Amino acid sequence: MKIRNTILTLVSIALLAAFIWYADSNFDSYKIRILNLCAIYTILALSMNLINGFTGLLSLGHAGFMAVGAYTTALLTMSETAKQQNFFLKPIVAPLATITLPFLPALLIGGVLSAFVAFLIGAPTLRLRGDYLAIATLGFSEIIRIVFTNTQNITNGPLGLKSIPNNTNLWWTFGLALVTLILIKSLIDSSYGKALKAIREDEVAAESMGINLFQHKLIAFIIGAFFAAIGGGLLGSLIGAINPIMFRFILTFNVLLIVVMGGMGSITGSVISAFAVTAGLEYLRVLDESINLGFVTIKGIPGLRMVVFAGLLMVVVIFFKNGLMGTKEFSWDKLINFFTSKKRFKKKEVGQ
Amino acid sequence: MKKYLSIFMVMLLVLSIGLVGCSSQAPADTPAEENGEEATEPSADDDVIRIGVFQPITGANAAGGELEVEGVRLANELYPEVLGKKVELVIVDNRSDVQEAASAANRLIERDKVSAIIGSWGSGFSMAAGDAVRDNQIPAVAASATNPLVTQGNDYYFRVCFIDPFQGVVMANYAYNNLGARKAAIVREISNDYAVGLARFFEDAFIELTGDPDSVVAIADYQTGDQDFTSQLLNVNAQNPDVIFAPGNFTESALVIRQAKEQGIDIPFIGGDTWETPEFIEIGQEHVEGIVFSTFFTSETPITSESETFLAEYRKRYNREPAAVTALGYDAYILILDAIERAGVVDSVKIRDEIAKTQGFEGAAGIISLDENGDAVKSAVIKTVTDGKFIYMDTIEPF
Repeated sequence: MKIRNTILTLVSIALLAAFIWYADSNFDSYKIRILNLCAIYTILALSMNLINGFTGLLSLGHAGFMAVGAYTTALLTMSETAKQQNFFLKPIVAPLATITLPFLPALLIGGVLSAFVAFLIGAPTLRLRGDYLAIATLGFSEIIRIVFTNTQNITNGPLGLKSIPNNTNLWWTFGLALVTLILIKSLIDSSYGKALKAIREDEVAAESMGINLFQHKLIAFIIGAFFAAIGGGLLGSLIGAINPIMFRFILTFNVLLIVVMGGMGSITGSVISAFAVTAGLEYLRVLDESINLGFVTIKGIPGLRMVVFAGLLMVVVIFFKNGLMGTKEFSWDKLINFFTSKKRFKKKEVGQ
Repeated sequence: MKKYLSIFMVMLLVLSIGLVGCSSQAPADTPAEENGEEATEPSADDDVIRIGVFQPITGANAAGGELEVEGVRLANELYPEVLGKKVELVIVDNRSDVQEAASAANRLIERDKVSAIIGSWGSGFSMAAGDAVRDNQIPAVAASATNPLVTQGNDYYFRVCFIDPFQGVVMANYAYNNLGARKAAIVREISNDYAVGLARFFEDAFIELTGDPDSVVAIADYQTGDQDFTSQLLNVNAQNPDVIFAPGNFTESALVIRQAKEQGIDIPFIGGDTWETPEFIEIGQEHVEGIVFSTFFTSETPITSESETFLAEYRKRYNREPAAVTALGYDAYILILDAIERAGVVDSVKIRDEIAKTQGFEGAAGIISLDENGDAVKSAVIKTVTDGKFIYMDTIEPF
């Protein structure tokens, strides 16, 4: 059984690679952009799910970590001339002006920097619980944004950066999303992951079982921040322009929405919901345009899609209280059972 | 039961994706007779020329986006044809979001096959779309994005408004010549690219005019959304400036001026084009009387014959005075139309070349000549507030 599942996994990764290869050369740039965004949001949702869903820490600092990643990656990959062009109000500080690194090292440095920041933030704040942690991390992400607004010789302040090299392509985004998926999945299945889930369920019980609460929380927080920064770096490189206003609370909220909709504590849910929300919002654009039904033309109202999107969200929240997937995960066994199951399996399902 | 429900859901999902996939073949905007059975990809030699508009129609900046769209729509109604072809507007919303702005621009280019793009309100959104228009070689004209970075290093981005450096210089000249100021203080909204840029260019110009590197005696910062500015104002007042330059969002700026007057600080305030909104007077009330700012456009003295047409039509339709950004949206549209006419063909690269050549073009908000960066060189208007109304004072020609 195990061998079969491994083969199936490898086959689907190969299929994904084939799809990317096909999409890369055949899709137009609009579709590719949407796919890129889907993959980036998968990374962001997975990293947030690790902190919020699996460890049960209500952290709202994601936009801050993304900002660290996006700015680090942008500043390290931009060419010297691009930097000079950007920093026309105040020149950029000396060492940064001349450094230009390839994409991957820049992304990783962004991730490590963000993980370090997470360590600094996490050390004092992870001793807080529930609402207090949410407020502290939210405050942190605002602080990061305001610091970036004011350090004009490093981040170009409120003017933002443009001409960031567009290194992001489908291979990068889907590749890194896959790496994130595999790493977080193995972490969740390890003893650390079980400890994290135990902390989520009951902190006191977990502690009495000998789990070091603070250490485990910190590890989850740091790993989440690392991947958030990777996602932020990819996003900055995809758009080609970033500014501090981009990293407002609303960005954290967008990721949180994906996580909650997919199911807190479900990797599968995060992936599905990242694709559904990101692509769905674009598909719903049809509603903004005038619709021609042949006999009658409905005049488009720009903004209607946001109304419909909000309506859909309410439906999800009402009918799927724990998100689309709850804490369930996709597995090959379940999928095969689903199609081959006879009535005898049905009873089992009801019992679940 | 559950099993069938999930199968049903998946089917629904696939069906909806399929539906959208089909509709992407022929944009829903095309008239019925055109997207007949075969649903062909729209091409450049259609009878319709598409111009894309991406603006914040929902979200934090919806008010600004809406005003610009108004101008573009009006221009489209007045000039619906070029080269004997109908011009169709494709308006998309960018949700006041940088990432969405980039997707919206891409969508206009790839799905709607537009020949040119207008937008967006807000420099950040325009910059996000910069890569898409450059890589796909579709010309874009921003109506009111004043950040110099929007057009810099991008051959396909243009704008019909002047940029922050010019506005900063205009106000520095006004302070120096008309108010006789020799010492200035700056109160700026630090989180706003517009305010920071403007403050910097004002500072440079003012120092150059006075020849005294210490002539800007104080710079105070505040954040967007702040309510209390007492400490900043006290610091600034302690330096005894002759004038306070306070570029920023209209709400905060009005509060700054109001609190200054309430504290008995009687130093003239000057600012930038963002102040020209009814809310500014509403919040500032009698305290904002006598303040002076630069802006793009005035409805009191039409600058060109196009201004007269625009004003007459706008008043007829909306029964109120147009905002500056509405006039600029209008200008962006007629500028593109003029370029298409001169190009003679609907080819985006040729249209781009013709837009770049624009010189002395008569728009509703002044005469537009584009410089080598694609920025409009045009006159600025100085206005003041008297009896709760914006009153035109002067027109400043470009230097």
